[in-house]
Amino acid sequence: MRKLMFYIPLALFLALTLFLLSGLFSNPMERESVTTDKPLPAFNLPDLMNPALRWQPEQLLGETFLLNVWGTWCPTCNAELSFMTELREQGVKIVGLYYVLPTDPLLGERFDLAALQADVSSKLQQRGNPYQFNILDAERSLALDLGVSGAPETFIIDSLGIVRAHHIGDINPQVWRSKLAPLYQQWHQQDGAKP
Amino acid sequence: MIAESGQLALTFALALAMLLAVVPLYGSFTGNQRALLQAKPLAIGLFLFCLLAKLALVHAFLTNDFTVINVATNSSSILPWYYQITASFGSHEGSMLLWILMLAGWTALVAVFSKGLPLLMQGRILGVLGLINIGFIAFSLFMSNPFARSLPFYPVEGMDLNPLLQDFGMIIHPPLLYMGYVGFAVSFAFAIAALIGGKFDSTWARWARPWTLAAWLFLTLGIMFGSWWAYHELGWGGWWFWDPVENASFLPWLVGTALIHSLAVTEKRGTFKSWTVLLALAAFSLSLVGAFLVRSGVLVSVHSFAADPDRGIFLLVFLLLVIGGSLALYAVRMNSVRSQARYQLFSREVMLWGNNVFLLTATLVVFLGTLFPLFHKELGLGTISIGEPFFNQMFYYLTIPFALLLGLGPWVRWKQQPVKPLLGPLSLIAVASLILATGTLAAMQSVQANLALLGLLLGAWVGVSALYELYQRLSQFGSVTKGVFKLQASHYGMTIAHIGFAVLVVGVAMTKTYSTERDVRMQINDSISLAGYTFTLLDVYPLDGANFGGEAAEIAVHNSQGKFISQLHAEKRFYTIQRTVMTESAVHARLSRDLYVSLGEALPDNAWALRLYVKPFVRWIWLGGLLMALGALVALLDKRYRRQGAVAVALKKENIANA
Repeated sequence: MRKLMFYIPLALFLALTLFLLSGLFSNPMERESVTTDKPLPAFNLPDLMNPALRWQPEQLLGETFLLNVWGTWCPTCNAELSFMTELREQGVKIVGLYYVLPTDPLLGERFDLAALQADVSSKLQQRGNPYQFNILDAERSLALDLGVSGAPETFIIDSLGIVRAHHIGDINPQVWRSKLAPLYQQWHQQDGAKP
Repeated sequence: MIAESGQLALTFALALAMLLAVVPLYGSFTGNQRALLQAKPLAIGLFLFCLLAKLALVHAFLTNDFTVINVATNSSSILPWYYQITASFGSHEGSMLLWILMLAGWTALVAVFSKGLPLLMQGRILGVLGLINIGFIAFSLFMSNPFARSLPFYPVEGMDLNPLLQDFGMIIHPPLLYMGYVGFAVSFAFAIAALIGGKFDSTWARWARPWTLAAWLFLTLGIMFGSWWAYHELGWGGWWFWDPVENASFLPWLVGTALIHSLAVTEKRGTFKSWTVLLALAAFSLSLVGAFLVRSGVLVSVHSFAADPDRGIFLLVFLLLVIGGSLALYAVRMNSVRSQARYQLFSREVMLWGNNVFLLTATLVVFLGTLFPLFHKELGLGTISIGEPFFNQMFYYLTIPFALLLGLGPWVRWKQQPVKPLLGPLSLIAVASLILATGTLAAMQSVQANLALLGLLLGAWVGVSALYELYQRLSQFGSVTKGVFKLQASHYGMTIAHIGFAVLVVGVAMTKTYSTERDVRMQINDSISLAGYTFTLLDVYPLDGANFGGEAAEIAVHNSQGKFISQLHAEKRFYTIQRTVMTESAVHARLSRDLYVSLGEALPDNAWALRLYVKPFVRWIWLGGLLMALGALVALLDKRYRRQGAVAVALKKENIANA
């Protein structure tokens, strides 16, 4: 018994190395989403290009779609536009959630909507337009409710409005193939099925 | 060319480290004297080549050689020269080279100052240090070469040093910290040498004591300067964040503190043997684990270097060899060890055992708090985070019994202590602490049962006890004036370090209880009152530094009687190359309180956001750290560490003095 006692430090250390080893291959920044498998939060937000038009969750339902949080100020978001445009051409429905960065709504700062619209149009003309439409989240309320920590982030939302996946980072062919496409296909196949 | 010669020097250092690891160890097993004698010159040569490599890197930084990737990414031609030097250890690659230089430095120091050691022991210790050197030098050369070039396409200007690191605290914090981390490699090597030899008498403990003290001294200073740097550089008035990397430096410190105390028992009483060896292995092992955590990207921290799984794998294999190997050796060798000393329940042995129990519980708390999120996630239980409240609460509960014990410990004799003779002095100390603590709060007109009262009581208990015990000890030499010169330096060291702990506890408790802060919006000539002080914004004007612009604010502070106290100068710098904003907070420091102002954003209507703090007793936190380090320094000056030949005599005298 006494002999075995002296092996305890070694055993504990070896157990620790197992954790450290597996820790090496996982991303410490990764967080599980707080919104996955929950319904889309309630919102009532204007359309980016036509602010008179307002969007609510019910109007988005009926088909599995991607909700992509982005902004022209974000280089990675701009980079993923062309690949997402290809996805749109393949029939994937993508809705943009435009995140206004340079102004802080909490300080009551106003931004120039016309300039923003011009900026967005020229960017989408240049890079391709993957979006059916863009929701303008000027006060970041929906982004906050969805637990968005940065841009770009993309949510897969099924036909009933349940958030099925939350992807942090850009969408590129590799990420799409390995992670998002299977999920999208899975939920897309169930479109139209009533609960 | 110079950079290449640096790399060449490091390659030679690797070769010397290999020789150092092989030749003396071979000599120690075969009894070959000549092989054993090679240890010293090899160790010194190793250090010289590491020094050459380091100088080559510094040269590349000072000459703005942007073909070297490390220089291009961490320096710029407009960076002041002293920050160019510190930039040479601001990156992962550069800091690794500094680490290696320190390790080789300790190795050479052991070689030079080990005349009193038997040749066999000397060879084994240096051989083990050589093995450790191999690991780190190979890591630097093969996995993170600081001399790598980006030819033929190199930038004309560097990316500048991270502005956070452009500060006096950054000049001294990493070298001190690394000296401490790496210094425990020496205690580690002593323990391994003892394990190889299979002899755990008090001699190895006596040899290891001064080295452990020296490493602990540096680590204490390093942590303290890091805390001070964070306080005045990060602009939010905090001095400890429980960040994973801070914890990584705190773990070896806690174990090192336990080791210092446990070594005393092993040296003086020949007991706690297997325990002391384990602590010596653990202190350095935790330094290594810390290095792994910082450099592998396993944990998220503000301090982490860029993550790279390949580096992580290399370090993990290295950890497995060094720590796993030493613990395996420990398990095999320790089977045969028996402690023969006898002691009663109320004895210094048990007091020091208590010290170890609390320090190791603290280590466990910090270790689990730091790594639990990793365990939780890797077990598939999802992500969690553990923050300040957990650590604060745990340390609150741990500090109370620890401080009570600390006030008692130095009074208790080895083997057995009768209770009665202590009742008098201890009740005197208790009454004095009560008067001191309530008196302080009465002077602040805030007598109430709060954290501050508890902190003051514990601090006074430890401090008064240490001073009174010193007085008693001095009186034993006939009179205090006679005793002053006769008492050993190590006893003074202990007293000073214990007072340092008392000062630290008071500082933490007072700051936590009485700090006040306000975020305010101020225009020029606005005045704001906070905790009896009036802050007036006098002026805000543009700044023009070598590699930064920004704004500076002048703030006048008056006390409640309207008397002018100081004019504070706070800056908000914008570093042009890195495009980052940094706050340079303004601090007016006194022992009793700090006035602290940091300048925030410009607001509409010519107003600025400012953050004002009044932080009572915050200086005491670092003063406590300084005193602890000073205690270690004084203890190091003890004569018996220098006259190795006279150790036996000194030991005898000591036993008489302690009896």
